[in-house]
Amino acid sequence: MAGIALKNLVKSFGTYTAVSGISLDIHDGEFLIMVGPSGCGKTTTLNMISGLETPTSGEISIAGRVVNDLEPGERGLGMVFQDLALFPHMTVFENIAFGLRVRKVPAAEIARRVAAAAETMHIKPLLSKLPKQCSGGESQRVALARTIVTNPTVFLMDEPLSSLDAKLRVDMRTELKRLHEQLKATFIYVTHDQAEAMTMADRIVVMSKGKIEQLGTPLEIYKHPLTQFVAGFFGTPTMNFIEGVVEIGATGARFRGAGLEQALPASVSVKLRGRDVVLGVRSEHVIIGGAAASAPGTARLLQPLGDATLVHFDAGEGKSLVAKVASNTELGPGLPLRFHFAPEHCHLFDAMSGQRQF
Amino acid sequence: MNADVTIAAEAARKRKLRRQRRMRVGRHAILLAWAGVIVFPIFWMISTSFKDAGEWVAWPPHWLPHEPTLLNYAQIFAFGALDPTLSRQATEQAFTIWKGLGDAALVCTTASLLALLLGTFLAYAISRFSVGGKYFRHTILMIRMIPPIVVAISILIYYAIIIPYATTALLGVRISMFDTYVGLVLIYTVTTLPFVIWMMLTFIDEVPYTLEHAARLMGAGRIEVIRRIVLPLVASGMVVTFLFVFILNWAEFLLALTLTHPEVTTLTVLLNKFQSAAEGRLYGPQAAIGTIVTIPVVVMGLLIQKHLVKGFSFGTLRK
Repeated sequence: MAGIALKNLVKSFGTYTAVSGISLDIHDGEFLIMVGPSGCGKTTTLNMISGLETPTSGEISIAGRVVNDLEPGERGLGMVFQDLALFPHMTVFENIAFGLRVRKVPAAEIARRVAAAAETMHIKPLLSKLPKQCSGGESQRVALARTIVTNPTVFLMDEPLSSLDAKLRVDMRTELKRLHEQLKATFIYVTHDQAEAMTMADRIVVMSKGKIEQLGTPLEIYKHPLTQFVAGFFGTPTMNFIEGVVEIGATGARFRGAGLEQALPASVSVKLRGRDVVLGVRSEHVIIGGAAASAPGTARLLQPLGDATLVHFDAGEGKSLVAKVASNTELGPGLPLRFHFAPEHCHLFDAMSGQRQF
Repeated sequence: MNADVTIAAEAARKRKLRRQRRMRVGRHAILLAWAGVIVFPIFWMISTSFKDAGEWVAWPPHWLPHEPTLLNYAQIFAFGALDPTLSRQATEQAFTIWKGLGDAALVCTTASLLALLLGTFLAYAISRFSVGGKYFRHTILMIRMIPPIVVAISILIYYAIIIPYATTALLGVRISMFDTYVGLVLIYTVTTLPFVIWMMLTFIDEVPYTLEHAARLMGAGRIEVIRRIVLPLVASGMVVTFLFVFILNWAEFLLALTLTHPEVTTLTVLLNKFQSAAEGRLYGPQAAIGTIVTIPVVVMGLLIQKHLVKGFSFGTLRK
């Protein structure tokens, strides 16, 4: 009904290219999250979909229809802005009614639909207040009510939760998920917060420097990152990276670097022999102790998380790594340890291009 | 020993207090003297407006009228031919405030509204689309650096000579801008436009872009966005700007003097005409007009002074 297709979308500001040729198919009813660091082009892409920015080249179609030349208001979209953009001189009721008023909807119908939207977002008592009299969370709900009242088939959201405090932000994630289920509309959501992306998205688009790095479900992206950038962007703490080379010997493939030697799965291609690579391994796949633990290290710092504990340790040659261990660990700062990586959870990236090799 | 220290400290504290008090008294003395310099002419004007002819230039000066009279006010507010009781022997001409008040109100209101309308939209274009380039907003005020006398003569030549001749030659009708309401309104609009643009820029810059984006996404066109979002948010700024520009026009003298006579007569020009061959300057009626004209300016000034600071803070007060 309202899938969106982007074809070779480019946006330049003078000599600076914010978005350099992205193509993307967004399915109808999908919760798609665009994530990336500041300046990666995610907001510019969203603004091009909304019509607030005109693409330098490329094509945008909504529900099969090219919309490049349509005014923002004619595209059937709803948008929630980072600063919410509530009209300060209008009451909450008038804010929500605005989109209906400019469409010349009859007054009785406006009253009915505003009431329904307020009902959905649980803000009925606020209708006669001014935006400045609403709290952060209430303003957020008003902004959402204002967007849903016109029944858009696509919702665009530009970091809508960034102005909220941490607790409220987590609550609003659930709320947005619920809203998505209820409305069955397409949500396109921009954020720089990888945790937000992981928890809400059906699919995630990871962007960097105006290009798409990877498109996939949250688990695909977490478990099978296509580039070193994606691997490093997702997950807390950040994935451990070690530069080194791949050796293929009689006992199978091995990784050697930073004074470490690590067995790799047998399925590692022979083509990687002698290649400069970066080995990536998440903290939960760094195993401390046990029979296979080969490399020595020294614990430096312990960070208890409650359900687990992060151990920062020296792995020799000044390389610092992080392991996630059970919270009842007997390790302490300065104590020696032995560790190894789970071979099936090692990622190999090309040292030059950062592309996934295994 | 301890007691000595306490006494010494106490004495030092007292010296410091005395010094602070002396400084405070000195500061207030200077400020009071300056206030006297500023307020004296206003006091003198009001006092003179209640004096009869003999007291205007009496020596030694009559600080307050010895025989207070409302004659000056009766004269300037007279309707039709001057009542014989109001006519002074020496005053052959009857001057009333009505013509000047009417013309000034008409010209100043029209010109200020016109400048406000044009200036607001220009400021919007400069704020939102950077019309004229990055430094245009700073260039605008430079227009005001040209002394009005330079403009006055050139405009006079256009109004009284070039435009009449050109229209006669091209259209066959002689159109003169000299001594017309349109001519004066135009020049007032043009000379105050930089102020309007400058002040409205600071107000429009404060309206976040995203409000307009949000409105446009909800289906409002550009004009509707300006009408429903931008204008309501800068309405108080528009009132302040209007009053400020109105006061400028209300007090303008040089252009009005140069570009009109005898048809259009604003208050400032009228004031200048208050003289007679026998008595010289008619200080009493002049003072009465001055007092009356000052009242709206003071009232407006009080109304807008809080906002004026904001308008002229060059955006530094923005959050």
